[in-house]
Amino acid sequence: MKIFRVSGLIACATLVQAQVPPAGGVDKAIPLSKVERKNRAPLSKEVLRVKLPKPMEAKLENGVSVLILEDHRLPTVSVQLVIQGAGGLYDPADRPGLAEVAGAMLKEGTTTLNSKQISEAVDGLGATLFINAGFGTADAQVTASGLSENFDQWFGLMLDVVQKSNFPDGELQKLKQRQLTMLKQQRTQSAFLANEMFRKAVYGTFAASVVTSTPASLQAMKSEDLQAWRDQRYVPQNATLAIAGDVNAKQLIAKLNRATATWKKSDFRASLPASPKPVEGRRIFLVDRPGSVQTNILLGNLAMDRANPDFIPLKVLNRIIGEGASSRLFTNLREEKSYTYGAYSNLLASEIVGPWLANSEVRTAVTDGAMTEFLKEVDRIRDQKVPASELEDAQHSIVSAFALSLEQPTGVLGYALTRKRFGLPDDYWDTYPARVSAVTAEDVARVAKKYIVPGNLQIVAVGDAATIKTVMEKYGPVTVYSADGLPVVH
Amino acid sequence: MKPIVIILAAAALLYGAGPEVAYKEYKLKNGLRIVLSEDHSAPTYSIAVTYNVGSRDEKPGRTGFAHLFEHMMYQGSENVGKGEHMSLIQNNGGSMNGTTNNDRTVYFEMLPANQMDLGLFVEADRMKSLVISQANLDNQRNAVQEERRLGVDNRPYGKTFEVLFDTAFDDFGYKHSTIGSMEDLNAASVEDVQAFFKRYYAPNNAVVAIVGDFKSEEVLKKIEKYFGSIPSQPAPPQPDVAEPQQRGERHKIIEDQFAQIPRVDIAFKTPAANLPDVYALDLLTDVLGGGESSRFYQSLVKEKELAVQTGAFLNQQRGTSLAIFIGIARPGKEVLELEKAMESEIARLQTDLITEAELARVKMKMKTTHYARIRSSLTRAMELSDNAVSFNDPGRLNTFEQQYQKVTREDVQRVAKQYLSEANRTVVVTMPKAAPKVVAK
Repeated sequence: MKIFRVSGLIACATLVQAQVPPAGGVDKAIPLSKVERKNRAPLSKEVLRVKLPKPMEAKLENGVSVLILEDHRLPTVSVQLVIQGAGGLYDPADRPGLAEVAGAMLKEGTTTLNSKQISEAVDGLGATLFINAGFGTADAQVTASGLSENFDQWFGLMLDVVQKSNFPDGELQKLKQRQLTMLKQQRTQSAFLANEMFRKAVYGTFAASVVTSTPASLQAMKSEDLQAWRDQRYVPQNATLAIAGDVNAKQLIAKLNRATATWKKSDFRASLPASPKPVEGRRIFLVDRPGSVQTNILLGNLAMDRANPDFIPLKVLNRIIGEGASSRLFTNLREEKSYTYGAYSNLLASEIVGPWLANSEVRTAVTDGAMTEFLKEVDRIRDQKVPASELEDAQHSIVSAFALSLEQPTGVLGYALTRKRFGLPDDYWDTYPARVSAVTAEDVARVAKKYIVPGNLQIVAVGDAATIKTVMEKYGPVTVYSADGLPVVH
Repeated sequence: MKPIVIILAAAALLYGAGPEVAYKEYKLKNGLRIVLSEDHSAPTYSIAVTYNVGSRDEKPGRTGFAHLFEHMMYQGSENVGKGEHMSLIQNNGGSMNGTTNNDRTVYFEMLPANQMDLGLFVEADRMKSLVISQANLDNQRNAVQEERRLGVDNRPYGKTFEVLFDTAFDDFGYKHSTIGSMEDLNAASVEDVQAFFKRYYAPNNAVVAIVGDFKSEEVLKKIEKYFGSIPSQPAPPQPDVAEPQQRGERHKIIEDQFAQIPRVDIAFKTPAANLPDVYALDLLTDVLGGGESSRFYQSLVKEKELAVQTGAFLNQQRGTSLAIFIGIARPGKEVLELEKAMESEIARLQTDLITEAELARVKMKMKTTHYARIRSSLTRAMELSDNAVSFNDPGRLNTFEQQYQKVTREDVQRVAKQYLSEANRTVVVTMPKAAPKVVAK
């Protein structure tokens, strides 16, 4: 019994025999941590393969790139407008937060609606409207969702705030006050302090090192600065509009052309600053958070941008060492040592070179043990060949999760956006499962040695310095900072 | 073939207002209830196993136990090794987790459709034969204590809700937190774990809901194969969470080591989640604190600038629930002024009707909330099994939309008068701890 109309979205999914038979047993050369494998659970040996649905692609008369994916299972639509060149990465050096504030102010008034009317209109349509032009990102993202029955209204509102926002000074002053409080509040959170210090450590003075505005910068922002920023950077030729849901793609194009007719193209192009190189030499940044009952450890270094061909082998490596609850870090630091509620690693690659990083929040007393295990796992992935069964598990996991993520149309569209944004080949996602499956243990070893260098790790620890400073000194030269991000000089 | 299941109910389409989650309900001889909902639009399925036990079943001295036990369910069973559950699910592309609240504990997996046996096998194996050892208990006790530090002890406002519930409730069931106290977690023994498993983790105390790409008759045979031999147990005692009528405002001021800015939490006791007034109360909290068009945001954040953040929600429980209103003060403003302003916005709901436009807005929002709720097979499976366990009504989610649309402005005013009274109010003000500042020089 079906509960939804069948959309045909993923109806082309097929089950095919796995090319690589699952390993019969565990490779005995190196014990797989302490996961106890009884291998008695019934498993289908078929790998779920899906043919990726292709969104319709088009270009509007004013230069906006459009991606549309129909899905009629629910009477809803979601829209994402991605505008290259309008993100915080392009903040002027003396105005951190300009892109973010400009984005936030879009909803605070247009030539026809004031802030309150905008929020009432959005909520009254049962829609959502968010603008994110955060720090370290090259683009601004305007996302909206709502019902298909009133799509024209909420989509029109979304276009209005982008084009007709007029940055009223009264609203700006109020926003500044709220933001000033946020600046204070965020310093109470260890995750913020860790991220702020880590970004500074790996990016130095590069624009992506900035994760927050400052009171001085906020105070200096004027309505006309924000309007100028919007006029220059929220331009159609740099925008991609992705629409998923209960729409008719063919009819929609004409409608989009009409709706965006007043949004005129310019010749503005943002040029991406050159990314820095990975930092050399291990350093430890200790952020003092007196009374902290945990130490937040965050370590890593710059690795690569998203278009780098090593992305896939490093993704496989990351799955093995730190992605999810069956990875090495989680198994070791939580399930064996019980130092923490979770331990993970991540690869953050975008237009610019991003870091590979690992993170855990551990109780203060086991800071030393956690550091030892982190470094052990780094050495292990570099120096010991990944057992065949562990590699296959990781590959199988990535390929199957990819197939599963196509259940939602926004997932499919997300992949298409990634391909466009980073200039990946047209068949990138069609060949993705095969390329993940082709990664060898030697590939993993090679990217481990190249991108995860113990001697160059940048290590941040946020915690009670009085207790953990001597511990951290065992692992490298330590500089102590206050929660305000300033070095503590004795 | 002998009938292995009894068909209890087949949901009919109730009304034509929007997509329905159609489902069928069955029961094994050992008492295990099953809810199946086919959806062939994607080659995936989700399984949610909800046990009728939560922190409200805990006894004094053993707070946090239901959740600690949830962690033990990943430590291995007769045919699934320690840690193997997570790697089996993840290596096959799936996702999984477990979660405990006051009222119930739920375990779930989302997997490719061809791995139906895997999901059923791992859930049945641990229901049948959990391995309980001192080493695993010690290990998970530590992990849970880190979870408490992460979520409560090491973050600003982490303890506020604990104090709010402790102050508002008289009955122990909802008075104490699900995460529990460090002392009680330390006191939990292997014997406690064994007794808890036998008492609560029986097939007759659980509901299995499966949503996705499968054929019901085939899955039923598999369910019988994997779960059918698990013996039932005597029905566990149900806690009495009856809450005496509150007879006066309760007010507390607490200090927070990490907070920099005062915060006001105001709560009122409201009826259990399945009682009729819930819909009007839910819309009421939305009028006051839901989103940027809400009264709190427009009045307290934007106009009067007394707060930097506001919010409101109805914390729906099987027993007495709480309507909770939150304001984070703007620095430099008297926190008392914020508290008074919040109270006066609340009082205005009792004296004046909300506007037609406000009512239409919050109703419209509930419509889109409903679609978000049923978008994924996983949320559908969780809703079906949760509502079966908590209210003996898996299809409750199909009735929400209609119930919200029936609410009138007069209903909102009536519930405001009935429940948002001073005598029924609990206030917790969280103040930054005045600690000597570390000088960065």
